[in-house]
Amino acid sequence: MRVEAIHLNKHYKKVHAVNDLSFTIEPGRVTGFLGPNGSGKSTTMRLMLGLDSGSGQTMFDGKPLTDHSPVTRVVGAHLDAKFFHPKRTAYAHLRMLGAEAGVTKERVHEVLKLVGLETVAKKRPGAFSLGMGQRLGLASAILADPQVLMLDEPANGLDPQSIQWMRDFLRHYASLGRSVLVSSHLLSEMELLADDLVVIAKGTMIAAEPMQQFLNRASGGSVLVRTSDSRRLAQALEAQGLTLVATGVDELRVPDVSTDRVGHIAFAAGVPILELQAERASLESVFLELTEDGQEYRVGGAQ
Amino acid sequence: MIAALTYEWRRLWSVRSTIVVSVLYLVLIGLIGGLPLFLDKNGPTQSWLGLYSASSNILGMIVLSVVAAQSFGHEYRYGLIRLTLTEFPKRERVLFAKIDVLGVYYLLMMVAGWSVLGLIGALAPAGRISADAEGLSMAGGKLPDLWQILAWGWGYVLIAFAVTLITRNLALGIVLPMVTAIVVENIIAGLASLAKGRLDWFVNIMPFRNGDAWLSGNTDLVQPGLVYFAWVVAILLIATIRFHKSDA
Repeated sequence: MRVEAIHLNKHYKKVHAVNDLSFTIEPGRVTGFLGPNGSGKSTTMRLMLGLDSGSGQTMFDGKPLTDHSPVTRVVGAHLDAKFFHPKRTAYAHLRMLGAEAGVTKERVHEVLKLVGLETVAKKRPGAFSLGMGQRLGLASAILADPQVLMLDEPANGLDPQSIQWMRDFLRHYASLGRSVLVSSHLLSEMELLADDLVVIAKGTMIAAEPMQQFLNRASGGSVLVRTSDSRRLAQALEAQGLTLVATGVDELRVPDVSTDRVGHIAFAAGVPILELQAERASLESVFLELTEDGQEYRVGGAQ
Repeated sequence: MIAALTYEWRRLWSVRSTIVVSVLYLVLIGLIGGLPLFLDKNGPTQSWLGLYSASSNILGMIVLSVVAAQSFGHEYRYGLIRLTLTEFPKRERVLFAKIDVLGVYYLLMMVAGWSVLGLIGALAPAGRISADAEGLSMAGGKLPDLWQILAWGWGYVLIAFAVTLITRNLALGIVLPMVTAIVVENIIAGLASLAKGRLDWFVNIMPFRNGDAWLSGNTDLVQPGLVYFAWVVAILLIATIRFHKSDA
């Protein structure tokens, strides 16, 4: 199911929390939602679900959410790891949430088993850890097997095994043709998970594009080449007008060039290549570069 | 709408506090109605209506108002309202479902309360309960009819429900109506009596005094009832508007 957020706006008195955001979440893909703290990610998600008042529209397959029934078959949302009554058992919590879509008891048990909470199904979640709360939140979201998943920081508090499990789960979920929107501060995790990115800062759109396209925005991508004859290779590359940086005895870094071009030049010069590697910018470096001015709450202590 | 009702019904009964409050209400009503019969075995003969009117004691309504306040109180306290409104984006559906389920719960508790009182009446010492006895309230006035008790209590429960929705605070939803009914209105009425009649108009439009007057049957039956239920409708209307306009 295709989800279109169209001109979303939200004001809090003098603060423009969400400023004319428009983007699309495509089916079959995981869309990462990035932004610094206070950038408006959670507010945007709430606007999309109609929980907050603001302007703009969100269309689910061309229709607003209110025109769908049952809604929980369309969208499942996990907005906070603590959205449960501490005295209502995990099982009862899911039974309640399953009412709209007519979710069976068997399905509730199935989902609890899937997220690893089966053994605590009849326990009160007041004493759950943050990670267990996240699992319960995810269970709530996927309970009715929705076409769209919207998850706000679902990896917070999860151990590495659980994060890997969640990544695999969400990728599998998207591979079934479902749409997944995930916000996260774990950029390395997002780099492994997301196909597309929506990046905002101070409520304003920075980028909405495929991951690779976003990474290509980085200034200064380079190629690392290891050879048994670095002197001859350096001469050949400089003859082609390229600048070099020697990083080791037999290793060179060549900025602003593709691996293909370095390979061809080395081949023409008859220099053996032992290793050729494109040094891609990380999601973190591009994200920090692009959102540098859009940070709402800056860390002031470090010099 | 059935789905919203099912959701709300499951929400209501899946927390232990609903059971605790329900039992507490029944015990309290039993004590209010039964204690005078059993402690004073030689007292005057009581009518059945007099016994059933124990359910018009405000303490019982305060206990039931806890469940009413929890309808939205728990939702806002624990953030569940966002899950609820994601599932049911049409807010009026949530509101109607909550009022409907609360109404059914209230009706069940009233009937259960009367059943407890009926049992107590059946077990009461000989001569303490009679169908022929004249029914008078504790204040010596006319006893309210059962439908009046039902309507008055429903009004009180709805006020607690609406105040919680307006304030988004569970405790305030319980405490504000209780303090207003038991303390604030009496203080205002006391102070107004010093004003040589200039503040009588204000005393005459206070909600709970009018509710009590309507229930006691000592004054004109219609006017205090209208004032009381006008307050109920007004507070509910404010709550409805706030629920529709505000962020979840």
